[in-house]
Amino acid sequence: MKALEQLKDTLKSKFGGNIIKFESPLEDRLFVDVKKEGVKGVCKELFTQGGRYLVGIGYDNTKRDNTLGMIHTFAFDKDSTVICVRAWVPENDPVMDSITPDVPNAGWSEREYMDLLGMKFTGHPKPKRLVLSDDWPEGIHPLRKEVPYNLVPPPAENVAYQMDECPEGCSVVPVGPFHPSLHEPNHWSIFVDGETIKGCDYRGFMTHRGIEKLCTTQVSYNEVPFIAERICGICGSVHATAYAQCVEMVADLKISRRAEFIRTIMLEIERLHSHLLWLGVAGHLIGFDTVFMQSWRIREDIMWLCEKWTGNRKTYGMIVVGGVRRDITPELKDDMLRVLKKVEEECIVVHKAIIGDTTIHKRTKGVGYMTHEEAVQWSIVGPPARARGVDIDVRRDHPYAAYDAVKFDVPVVDTNDVWGTVVVRILEIFEAIKIVRQALDQLPEGKIITEMDDVIQSQRHAISHVEAPRGESVHYVISGDENRADRWRVRAPTYPNLQGVPTMLLNDQFADFPIILGSIDPCFSCTDRVQVVDIKSGKVNVMNQRDLERMSRRA
Amino acid sequence: MWLTSKVKQVLMVIKPGVVTLKYPFEPHPAPENFRGRPHWDHHKCVGCGACSNHCSARCILVRDTCQELRIMLYDGSRCTYCGRCADVCPEKAITMSQEFENATGDREDITERIELFMLTCQRCGRCYDMENTNALERLDLRGYRYDSLEARALIRKTTEHFDPNVLKETEKYQRPTKL
Repeated sequence: MKALEQLKDTLKSKFGGNIIKFESPLEDRLFVDVKKEGVKGVCKELFTQGGRYLVGIGYDNTKRDNTLGMIHTFAFDKDSTVICVRAWVPENDPVMDSITPDVPNAGWSEREYMDLLGMKFTGHPKPKRLVLSDDWPEGIHPLRKEVPYNLVPPPAENVAYQMDECPEGCSVVPVGPFHPSLHEPNHWSIFVDGETIKGCDYRGFMTHRGIEKLCTTQVSYNEVPFIAERICGICGSVHATAYAQCVEMVADLKISRRAEFIRTIMLEIERLHSHLLWLGVAGHLIGFDTVFMQSWRIREDIMWLCEKWTGNRKTYGMIVVGGVRRDITPELKDDMLRVLKKVEEECIVVHKAIIGDTTIHKRTKGVGYMTHEEAVQWSIVGPPARARGVDIDVRRDHPYAAYDAVKFDVPVVDTNDVWGTVVVRILEIFEAIKIVRQALDQLPEGKIITEMDDVIQSQRHAISHVEAPRGESVHYVISGDENRADRWRVRAPTYPNLQGVPTMLLNDQFADFPIILGSIDPCFSCTDRVQVVDIKSGKVNVMNQRDLERMSRRA
Repeated sequence: MWLTSKVKQVLMVIKPGVVTLKYPFEPHPAPENFRGRPHWDHHKCVGCGACSNHCSARCILVRDTCQELRIMLYDGSRCTYCGRCADVCPEKAITMSQEFENATGDREDITERIELFMLTCQRCGRCYDMENTNALERLDLRGYRYDSLEARALIRKTTEHFDPNVLKETEKYQRPTKL
């Protein structure tokens, strides 16, 4: 940790007056409390020192000392450290310097807390609404503690998000909010000159449902893993693991080694199915449905294996705070090895069949170009970063669960385009199989769940990150009273990657838009049922199957 | 290059052939450990309410209609089949079945309701397994509970002794709609 000490010294000598204290509850975590005047300088320093921006966490602290808190977090991958810069602003004057001009990826984090907490960031280049819906009334900030979790403000009419002005000489092509090539609702304005994309604006968060608020007001610690798992339909265990690790950190709980190994196996099996799923979707987006059919056929064996082991094809519900719920029996181990062998053989066939295919090359090489420097600047994570020569992988750089006990390679290529992403993800399939085999081999004996005797102390901070198939998920927990967290922040891998998409789109053909967006494997969210809103009366009817049938028959 | 790739792709497709299952024309049973629709054994259930407290979808409701009568209601239309209820049940009264064909137009088809005659525990009132060591799984709702079965909503209000007034109040409960 020599580098960390050096960094501490630099910060002390440069911003001595603005730094309140350093705190290091764990060897690889450093919390720096900073006066609000020093935030901009400290963050800029950390970013230029090679820190990768993770996420900003805003929280309401009014009950304790009438302040709103803002935490900027940076990962130092070479030193396996995470540094959190904590600052507070008074509730009646919540103004802070924006760090977005220096750290572009912080843009969304700051915009989010303009909406949710009513903070103000001076010097933010694009202080537009991000999370809240267009007709959400001004002045109500849902993440403030006094706002109830089930508040439903009256809907307003004739309000719409103003997309950015189209540059001169370009025309606008709207994509979304619902579009066949995008699987979830999101709205893009693409500015094109002929067929070439010259810029874009994005409006998303259409399915923002306030999970963080819900989980910090209604449910208790050990129910959240099951809600966390439903944040993402593909990498559910990742979110549950990241959350569970956070709570284990604030509780000083060390889970059994066997549970750590089972978590590792679970995460890698999830990665396997996710990579195969993405490969299929990517094939489908470029009109190559053979890949789609075949990779999903191979994936089916993994789904059945999971069904047998965890009780479901997806949303495995395996991870709870303190361990895992189901053990690996010897029969299951044999089953797993058999399925892995089959999947590996079939993946080799697919790999060989598509790696030399000129159609795929033509559709993906040079498409979605983004330089290495830009990828670092935008803090891109996961396969899109590794396709641009950024050698990061949380599993190797910040080992969690049992990743310190297994050996694997991190495939990195420097083609800087969508093709690189395809290659990285295919190679990762084989690495994942390697990891599961090693973990099964070394699986130690022991219990799978560690019980907790003490109540978790209030106001402790923890940050944990987990490598999801599509990037890096970051969770931040501030413990609270009543057996639940005071603040829980989730950052899915799409959050930073989507902010980099405008750079990838620039000067590409409009027809390549679906695959460029698809290359980051965007994960928005899904609505649960059909809602019909009568615009005149504002009445909401939830329709069931019979109503829909009746309607469709009439038509 | 182009041709060899295409030949490889043809082989990749031909070898496995058609893999589509005949389901639903042929049954496709779920594996033994499957987390399907949960079932309550009313002989074993003691009405402790642990399942209700740990249900992250809040679809298991408890309503005390008088000192001795407790109604437990499971509303499958919101269930996420996580199986936590079966995990925490101290009497093993809940089993996750292999039933997965639960789609229906009428939510009553997947609603389970049991009425229990309750006795009050001399030692601890009405509570569940207080010796449970895991601090995370303490109950946050104890005593008498009055969830709204009409609105299918959990009401976060409990009383130490049975209270007919609260019972009456909760009858009028409505989900929040507008500010």
